[in-house]
Amino acid sequence: MRKIISGNEAIAIGAYRANASFASGYPGTPSSEILEYTKTFEDIKVQWASNEKSAFEQALGASLAGRRSFVTMKHVGLNVAADSLMSSSYTGVNAGFVVVVADDPGMHSSQNEQDTRLFAKFAQVPILEPSDAKEAMGFMQYAFSLSEEYDTPVILRSTTRVSHTQELVYFDMHKLGGTEDKLLAKNISKYVLVPKNALLRHKKLLERNTKLQKLTNETPLNRIEQGSLNVGIITSGVSYLYAKELLPEANFLKIGLSWPFPIDLAKEFTKNLEKVIVIEELEPYIEEQLKIAGINNVEGKKFFPQDGEFNLDIVEEGLVKASFLEKSHKKYFEVPKNLPERPPVLCPGCPHRPIFDILHSLKVYVTGDIGCYTLGAAPPLSSIHTTVCMGASISMGYGIAKASQNHKVVSVIGDSTFLHTGIQPLIDAYVNNVAYTVIILDNSITAMTGGQPDAVSGFNIKNEPAPKVDLENLVRSIGIKRVFKVDQYNYKKTKEIIEQEINTKELSVIIATRPCVLAPIKIKETPYFVIADKCIDCKRCLRIGCPAIGYKESKAYIIEDLCTGCALCAEVCPTLAIVKGESNE
Amino acid sequence: MNKGIIFCGVGGDGIITASNICAVALMRANFDVKKSEVHGMSQRGGSVNAFLVFGKKVYSFLPAKGSLNYMFASEKLEALRNVDYLNPDSKLLVNDRIVPIVGANIDEAQIEESLKSYSLDLKLINFNDLAKQHNMQKAVNTIMLGYFSKIIEIDKKHFIRAISETLNTKLIDINIEAFEVGFNLK
Repeated sequence: MRKIISGNEAIAIGAYRANASFASGYPGTPSSEILEYTKTFEDIKVQWASNEKSAFEQALGASLAGRRSFVTMKHVGLNVAADSLMSSSYTGVNAGFVVVVADDPGMHSSQNEQDTRLFAKFAQVPILEPSDAKEAMGFMQYAFSLSEEYDTPVILRSTTRVSHTQELVYFDMHKLGGTEDKLLAKNISKYVLVPKNALLRHKKLLERNTKLQKLTNETPLNRIEQGSLNVGIITSGVSYLYAKELLPEANFLKIGLSWPFPIDLAKEFTKNLEKVIVIEELEPYIEEQLKIAGINNVEGKKFFPQDGEFNLDIVEEGLVKASFLEKSHKKYFEVPKNLPERPPVLCPGCPHRPIFDILHSLKVYVTGDIGCYTLGAAPPLSSIHTTVCMGASISMGYGIAKASQNHKVVSVIGDSTFLHTGIQPLIDAYVNNVAYTVIILDNSITAMTGGQPDAVSGFNIKNEPAPKVDLENLVRSIGIKRVFKVDQYNYKKTKEIIEQEINTKELSVIIATRPCVLAPIKIKETPYFVIADKCIDCKRCLRIGCPAIGYKESKAYIIEDLCTGCALCAEVCPTLAIVKGESNE
Repeated sequence: MNKGIIFCGVGGDGIITASNICAVALMRANFDVKKSEVHGMSQRGGSVNAFLVFGKKVYSFLPAKGSLNYMFASEKLEALRNVDYLNPDSKLLVNDRIVPIVGANIDEAQIEESLKSYSLDLKLINFNDLAKQHNMQKAVNTIMLGYFSKIIEIDKKHFIRAISETLNTKLIDINIEAFEVGFNLK
């Protein structure tokens, strides 16, 4: 078959071909589409979990049951599953078990740009780094047998450019033979990590490392490509492609299995070369491995940045600095400097908007969380004061409210994030009598990552009806008394309840119940329009930050195509100049 | 020699789909194709772009500044934002419209003047108006692709096939019709 596929689709196909039969994960850019492709394969039991730790352990369990399994997440998701990773490195696996982690250099949609290769080194599990979709498919397939042969979880590390780029790949959909299901693993000394067993497992792990060290120097995944110049480039992932495009005549050591690092191979590679540089995105992982091993005639971060995402221009600049390339004198145009930026914004009709407009007007301190609603921090709403990591809104709100009782604190968190890591801090707040307000923005979907179902959606990844968690019952079952449900399109009533609760000296939870306007169903009601004669140019409607509202010649106007008819602008307009229906102008 | 295209526009306006159709058409025309785009935050009304590089053998997904031969822009401000990928020989097709930015004052005349100030082969056409005339508001980008296929000199048949292979069954006929509208535009 000849098809243009993305890295994420390639990973799913690789898993299918390798006979994987179980997959779990938590959505996170740029990893989310892997399971969305995987769900199209009927032989794979696939599901979204409520967080990465749960997903990781589900897949580990499936491996113990004797079925090849994998788990997907973004780089920061591995922090949540770190506990599972560190110890499953000791237990090892039964059937092949692969941890797919997608890093996001350049933070296209992330809160940090940590480098998963360091996690592999920390946990002492092998890590594979494909450069493109074609390799992603092959590496994924191989990861399962590597996992079984060496009795270890294997990390497959993608990055945004591998996951979200597409290329022409030739492949077939035949499954590989010779991978029978195994029996359920029953081996107490291996899988029960009490100290006595764990001490022995640690020794086993070190023995495994010795074997892997041999493998990494011999595997074709780490390969030398001879060039005509007397210079060498050691590189991995997408950086390889940039370097290859710019300087194909150099000698290359391309790293595909990056931990354990192939030191002997690197020694052989660098031996007769005049100059060698390392081109790697983010941390100087390869560079450090080389220098620790005493290979000193190499440089990396001296020429290439340690932050952000690489591209051809950045790699070219580094190659020029390293005197590998002459400075080119290409002509290109300059972008005008005063061009207004177009940042992402909450969609027209987004049910989060009324909440942030209200919080902004009440001038409270708001701890936020990870999701579309993080955009509530952007002007003109400017109403979120912290966003750190998943679930941190409720716990940080707790800390602020308890440490200093002079501030009115509100924590906002989405349904998916609440179910991910928000429940535990809410329990803490209840049992420790901390008085503040938690708003659960329940749009019943994981919206930011493209609309994946969560435990309150009522359907599963395959779009089949599924049981759903009742958030109100869940919160009440903790023991919290002040629990309210609001419909944010009813602006006045919602504002009344929020105002009442932030002035109450008790813990309260407000659940805002409007669904997302994009998923699972696109909502588009009759649009509104501005009666120009009634508009007094007060700009109140502009301050809700709706992309469907424009401004021309001292009057606001509404873009019909974009307006979903949520009526928030009409609710806040002091002169009732905004009304339902299509403008007849 | 490889060639490259940048597709740019505003999140949600179908730029990624247009680039997908174009990628498949190029594949059907027997080129090696690599395409790069970014999902995530950019879907929420922010700036979006996708790069398509095609030729005999392509390594890098991301093009260098000044290296692209063509631009397909669904909005004028976004076209201007990405001119650094172009050079004096590049050809541009830009939908003649501005999408407002929350909280920003945009001087439409100045944007247009600025865009025209580059010595570029620029086609500025309001495809939204054209779509309205034909009652094809949901296929604006496909009309544009019809016109664009002539600029990049790729046979129409590859695009028609790509539309059938890329889009949802229900949308194929209307999009092929839309493609013809753009293709027949003088």
